[in-house]
Amino acid sequence: MKAWSYSAVLVTLLLAACASHKTEPQVAQPQAAATQPTTPEPVTKPREPAPSEAAAAGQPVTAPAPSEATQATKPVATPAPNGATQATKPATAPAPSRANPAPKAATKTAPPVANTPTPAGKPPKPAAPAAASTGAAPLDLAALKEKLKATKAIGVFTKISLKNQVDDLMKQFSDHYQGKGKTTMPELRRAYDLLLMKVLSLLQDSDQQLASQVVSSREAIWGLLSDPKKFATLQG
Amino acid sequence: MNKLALVVARSLVVAALVAVPLFAADDEALKKDLTAVIALQGLPCGQVVAVAELGKDDYAATCKDGNKYRVYMNAEGRVVVEKRQ
Repeated sequence: MKAWSYSAVLVTLLLAACASHKTEPQVAQPQAAATQPTTPEPVTKPREPAPSEAAAAGQPVTAPAPSEATQATKPVATPAPNGATQATKPATAPAPSRANPAPKAATKTAPPVANTPTPAGKPPKPAAPAAASTGAAPLDLAALKEKLKATKAIGVFTKISLKNQVDDLMKQFSDHYQGKGKTTMPELRRAYDLLLMKVLSLLQDSDQQLASQVVSSREAIWGLLSDPKKFATLQG
Repeated sequence: MNKLALVVARSLVVAALVAVPLFAADDEALKKDLTAVIALQGLPCGQVVAVAELGKDDYAATCKDGNKYRVYMNAEGRVVVEKRQ
């Protein structure tokens, strides 16, 4: 019996060592491959509202002002509207004459790609309502950031990679507002939507709660990014 | 002495049996992580099926479709994915 008790103690010690070692890597469970196929989900929801905006889509032949994007995004409260904005984007694509609305069929996220808001009718003014709508669901960027950092649905490397892409996008915005970059606001919106889709595709299977929070914050965050003044505060 | 040797041997066997699955789980998580990273860069891969650690935060990943990549973090803290031959 003694022999077994000794071995039990030793095994316990070894297990403890293994357990502590395991936590270091902290590698979560990114589900890139698995999630990609599911990414379309968010897109489908938004499409419902799309019809209503479809009419507007035809009007904005020219890329509208950046701030206008927020107009279309008013529906911050519900994720569906967000997607709607994406769906409308393709329609409002700079080149209305396009034969293929979604040239990048390769990417499932293509549908949301072209995301020029449909502010044709009501340009900048809707921005204010958007802010109001965001007020309904106060955006807590810090909390959202912490949750994203803490979630185990995304692996460490993936998180760093996403952070890199977020930083790149922020720089693009910064350049745009400083007149340095050639990137237009619709292009920035498209990049923003794609990045969000990536995050959602990683979260939606393993951390649906956070995914829904990200979706509901989508337009509020865009509201911050698309407003030079608010963006400046973000930078600071 | 014999008893001690027996205890050590048994401990090692049990520990090995328990530890292997733990490390395997870590390995799977790492594969998924690298799969996501490669996908985020828009590179073809499908799924990472094998990973070799080249150094700290430096991995060689082999994809299901045969593509091979080196995924590492550079000095600036950026995750870089390089295609390998």
